[in-house]
Amino acid sequence: MSLLDVTGLTVGIRHSPLDILRDVEFSVERGEVVGLVGESGSGKTMASLAIMGLLPPGIELRSGSVRIDGTEYVDQESGRVRRTAGQMTMIFQHPRAALNPTMRVGRQISRVLELNQDLHRGAAREEAIGMLARVGIPGAARVARAFPHQLSGGMCQRVMIAMALACKPEVLIADEPTTALDVTIQAQIFDLINELVDETGTGVLFITHDLGAIAEMCDRVTVLYGGQVMEQGSLRALFTEPRHPYTRFLFEAVEREVDLRVEERGVNFALTGCRFGHRCPSAHPACVEFPPLVEVGPDHRSACFLHAEAATGGVVDGSA
Amino acid sequence: MALLEIRGLYKTFGHGHGAVPAVRGVDLDLERGETVGLVGESGCGKTTLGRILVGLTTPTDGKIVFDGEPLDGRLSRPEVRRRIQMVFQHPAQSLNRRMKVSTTLAEPLHLLAKADDETIKDRIDETLRLVGLDAGFLDRRPRQMSGGQQQRIAIARALVPDPDIVVLDEPTSSLDQSVRGRIIALLRSIQEQRDVSYLFISHDLSTVRRIADRVAVMYLGRIVEEAPTEQIFEDPRHPYTKALLSAVPTMDLDDRKQRIILPGETPSPSELPGGCSFQDRCPLVHDRCRREQPQLETVAAGRRVECFAVAPDAPQRPAG
Repeated sequence: MSLLDVTGLTVGIRHSPLDILRDVEFSVERGEVVGLVGESGSGKTMASLAIMGLLPPGIELRSGSVRIDGTEYVDQESGRVRRTAGQMTMIFQHPRAALNPTMRVGRQISRVLELNQDLHRGAAREEAIGMLARVGIPGAARVARAFPHQLSGGMCQRVMIAMALACKPEVLIADEPTTALDVTIQAQIFDLINELVDETGTGVLFITHDLGAIAEMCDRVTVLYGGQVMEQGSLRALFTEPRHPYTRFLFEAVEREVDLRVEERGVNFALTGCRFGHRCPSAHPACVEFPPLVEVGPDHRSACFLHAEAATGGVVDGSA
Repeated sequence: MALLEIRGLYKTFGHGHGAVPAVRGVDLDLERGETVGLVGESGCGKTTLGRILVGLTTPTDGKIVFDGEPLDGRLSRPEVRRRIQMVFQHPAQSLNRRMKVSTTLAEPLHLLAKADDETIKDRIDETLRLVGLDAGFLDRRPRQMSGGQQQRIAIARALVPDPDIVVLDEPTSSLDQSVRGRIIALLRSIQEQRDVSYLFISHDLSTVRRIADRVAVMYLGRIVEEAPTEQIFEDPRHPYTKALLSAVPTMDLDDRKQRIILPGETPSPSELPGGCSFQDRCPLVHDRCRREQPQLETVAAGRRVECFAVAPDAPQRPAG
């Protein structure tokens, strides 16, 4: 049993047949960092909001299951995700926008402690300063009295991490936590997240579009495109032997200029079949159906009919 | 003599205690048909430098010689404006969203070249082809195009008056990886056809590596290192350049280089310490760095470094 288990997650626009996420599944083990990677519009942020129960108005969870330590958090009747009461917390891409601009940062953290840990105000304040020191903020007592606009982006992200940790979460969702930061600050934040995972055994869902950051941080990876899981598996399997045409395309785009027949057409959410179909160099008639995820190696799955064909044809290709 | 020579350029915003020195004594050359990558983290003054070149910001002090002609105070002359153009980071914000592409592209010719309608039409068609779009785009407005297409239009707008220099300020930062590669390839092919010079401003080192002939690294308003591109990436000399390069996450799983984590953050430009501005984060800092401002010294052919600890033409060792 995994720490976080997400299966069959389907999210759509209310009163419309369009699905933004289709049958998305992944899992996170204790003390593990799992990457969710994709380009803009791939649904990576929507997936994190769905499992946090934070979907914006007009967007509904159609089906799926979110389990933490075996406990189901999707209420099957209302289709809502129950409050995870600090079991799962999230840090966002723009830390300054996620903090309350009118409240001192120390108070923002101590309120979380009052609510989640049942501490009274004085003890919560002390604990908040302790948390700030723990995420590597020098002069924590002074910073606790600052407002978000008085702190740099890197500092604000540390405050967000401190606040997320104040709940002692089982699972931490980090949605592009360093995209708005400079690389030297990004290196500091990566170090901090790794340190916390080692210390507390928290499982991290790490969302990014940066394949370098994935290679640096993650143990396992799920690749999303158009709200579908294209490929998932261990970091090494995915990076050394990418099997799905989209994953290969993504890697090539980093290395050199890729010449795809169709560029920038974006995602067609009305498609019933594979959403990469219209950009795919190996598309064929079967791709109007939705390809299932199939095993292509140890801890390595890919959603493409190419693999299915190879399997039914009796050919065990490549990775076996 | 270089096409563009910048000598001792300063720009300070504000006065007195709150004064922010954004550019503090920059010397830089740009040859015809050359691409110089200007790299640095947020707040290092790279954008201000670019804006000074196109005349959007007036320098506080210093000299700019463009094609043998001093530019001081004459940046607004139409003929000079025509020859130095700029592309901005967010195409959606830098294009007039009420204008059709045809109007957007005709405007610089009306204003700067005083061309007749026939010439304008030819030039627009030619430029549109150059950026890889067809005449079907002429009637579109920005919202009817993808981010990559918008950026192509922004590039076309800069190229339409046939400039000698294009300042590109983070032209690919807001684009997806797969689109980014295409834009870089496009810029290179345009350069081959038009012999135009680029000042490519970016915080993204891997993109700069793919396009620049030479790279200048900025930190707090000063160029701290300048060298041919491959030399910067293979053999960085300045401690800041080393840390910056080591902080970039790589996709190579087997070559996990040791990251240099710089302590602290970039100090505020309005509260600079005396001496070297990198002193508080530098692993090689010694007494002299706190007393004296190092100057950009030539250490090898085509290489300049601003650090007391870097000896000319010898491997780096901390000076005593």
